[in-house]
Amino acid sequence: MTQIIKMLRHTFVMAACVAMMLLNTSCFGDEPKGCEADIETATLHVAYPEQFFFQATDSMKVVFSTDSVISFTVRSDADVSALAPVFTLSQGATVEPASGSMHDFSKGPVLYTVTSQDGKWQRRYSVSVVPTSFTVADTLRFNFEHYELETGTGRQCFYVWHNTLADGTLGNDWSTANDGFRISMSTAKPMEYPSTPLLEGYDGAAVCLMTKDTGPFGKMANKRLAAGNMFLGTFDIRIAMSDHLHATRFGIPFTARPERFTGYYTYEPGPTVQDFYGNPIAGRTDSASVYAVFYRNHDAAGNETVLYGDNILSSELIVAIANMGYVTPTTQWMPWDVKFEYREEVDEKLLEARGYSLAIVFSSSASGGDFIGAIGSRLCIDKVRLITTHEE
Amino acid sequence: MNGKKYIIIFALMAVMTALAGQASVLDSLRVDARLGYTVGGTLPTKLDNKIRHVNNYDLGLNFAVSIEADLPLNKHWGLHSGLRYEIAGMDVDSRVKNYDIEVVRGDESLDGIFNGNVRIKSAQRRITLPIQASYYCSPQLQLRGGVFMGWLTNRRFWGWAYDGYLREGSPVGPKIEMGREPGERGDFDFDKDMRHMQWGVDVALDWHFHTRWGLFAELTYGLNGLFKSGFTSVQTLHPMYGTLGISYRIK
Repeated sequence: MTQIIKMLRHTFVMAACVAMMLLNTSCFGDEPKGCEADIETATLHVAYPEQFFFQATDSMKVVFSTDSVISFTVRSDADVSALAPVFTLSQGATVEPASGSMHDFSKGPVLYTVTSQDGKWQRRYSVSVVPTSFTVADTLRFNFEHYELETGTGRQCFYVWHNTLADGTLGNDWSTANDGFRISMSTAKPMEYPSTPLLEGYDGAAVCLMTKDTGPFGKMANKRLAAGNMFLGTFDIRIAMSDHLHATRFGIPFTARPERFTGYYTYEPGPTVQDFYGNPIAGRTDSASVYAVFYRNHDAAGNETVLYGDNILSSELIVAIANMGYVTPTTQWMPWDVKFEYREEVDEKLLEARGYSLAIVFSSSASGGDFIGAIGSRLCIDKVRLITTHEE
Repeated sequence: MNGKKYIIIFALMAVMTALAGQASVLDSLRVDARLGYTVGGTLPTKLDNKIRHVNNYDLGLNFAVSIEADLPLNKHWGLHSGLRYEIAGMDVDSRVKNYDIEVVRGDESLDGIFNGNVRIKSAQRRITLPIQASYYCSPQLQLRGGVFMGWLTNRRFWGWAYDGYLREGSPVGPKIEMGREPGERGDFDFDKDMRHMQWGVDVALDWHFHTRWGLFAELTYGLNGLFKSGFTSVQTLHPMYGTLGISYRIK
């Protein structure tokens, strides 16, 4: 009997709470403490920014949630022995050593630990300030021999690629949308992702891009396929769902004038092109994208920018494009050699100040950004070269 | 699971048979037809502080019809039972912080901590068998309380997380923004994870203001969760209905 009374009392308490919910919110208690531990932005304030940075906008970095390395690229003669980076953090989070504390970055990266407001979560960041002189080789070589499984958060299991920089070290200039595919297909094995290595390519390993079905989640979100892609730039997982065309941030700063874009490819379109709703489009064959775009990386208002999925071939900032155009299907390795078509002269001062960026884009379905393409379309790429001219 | 459907019917038949066996008992039996407006919802066991604000709560147009019988045993006490059909739903839009969420489709899942807005809609059709004790305060006023068993003939529970962001896996996992439109937001659909069988407690008040007509108010609270055990995508929710209605004495 007491049990029943207890139950009834519980029922009435719940009823009272419902009434309060309807009236307003006093049932909810105190706001929970923040559990995030991010550095959201990092800023370097220096006395003479124009002598320190290549571009004024280089002094502030927006840090992606997936990044734990923050690197400032500064002029080769910049003094980095006493700098005090300032951070904005997740709500209520704290950082050790403190934001604004002075450190000597000439000895290498400084490690920071961010602790969430509730004290339960921590993230570690490595911050470096790297004096850089850009020595771009006459020919940039991309052979796709350096790839590894991404292990950043322990749950991610897809391939990422590294390029060889001028000094022989490995860079992170190539990106794919593999991380976005993982949102919809968390059970996929590394070789089931859209962008994968091909062990026997034209010369050593190649990269293989395949248009993939995004499964039940993709269907639910009306994003039924994922084109295999690879590009110079960064992929912003934050907006992969809400604004996917802006998640592909095409281009990296580039300090030479590109002339020709060459490489080897195979392309096999998938059997059936499907539209946005997944319905087959009769009589249409899928097509691939192979192009390179050279552009000014600051807009008219002076803000630093990149090109995105919706303006990579149409932006007014574009200076030159080398576009292979129609990618003829072939199962044999075929070479391509495309000249950059210039729309305007290159400003040498701006070039030296990292005011131009270069994007190279490969996609197994050219309309993949609109979720139109053929599942199974397969574009393989190897031995990509970018031939530049230096005007000393 | 399917066998439970028949438990209700057998229980009802048992009551009817027992009653039918005693002609004198049947003489004092009162039978009402009832029609009520139901406010239906599901509530967490405790309203935690992760729900920051209810942006909107739509009660919907819900109703309950029933045939119910009341058997006086003495001056003050009686037995009450019947068969009810209830249609109830809700549409709640709330703002949440640090809210654990998991979205499952087929073999694929996406989980983490969500900050933003969550819209939850549910719709249920339920056949209910109440077994209650009646207490007659006066010839007009009657209190009832007891237990019920309910069977969902139709169950829907769906919604979406929107205008916010998910920290995938944990608060330090990748940040994934969710927009407002389908495709940009995180939809979920948990129809198949709902139980068919519900049981719980209910209390009611009857006021017979006329020889045939009366008014009643009833509150039912489900003691087993809305979802099957092992389901962790949303916190434990309990079905709860409040009904206001009129009764008409048939016998």
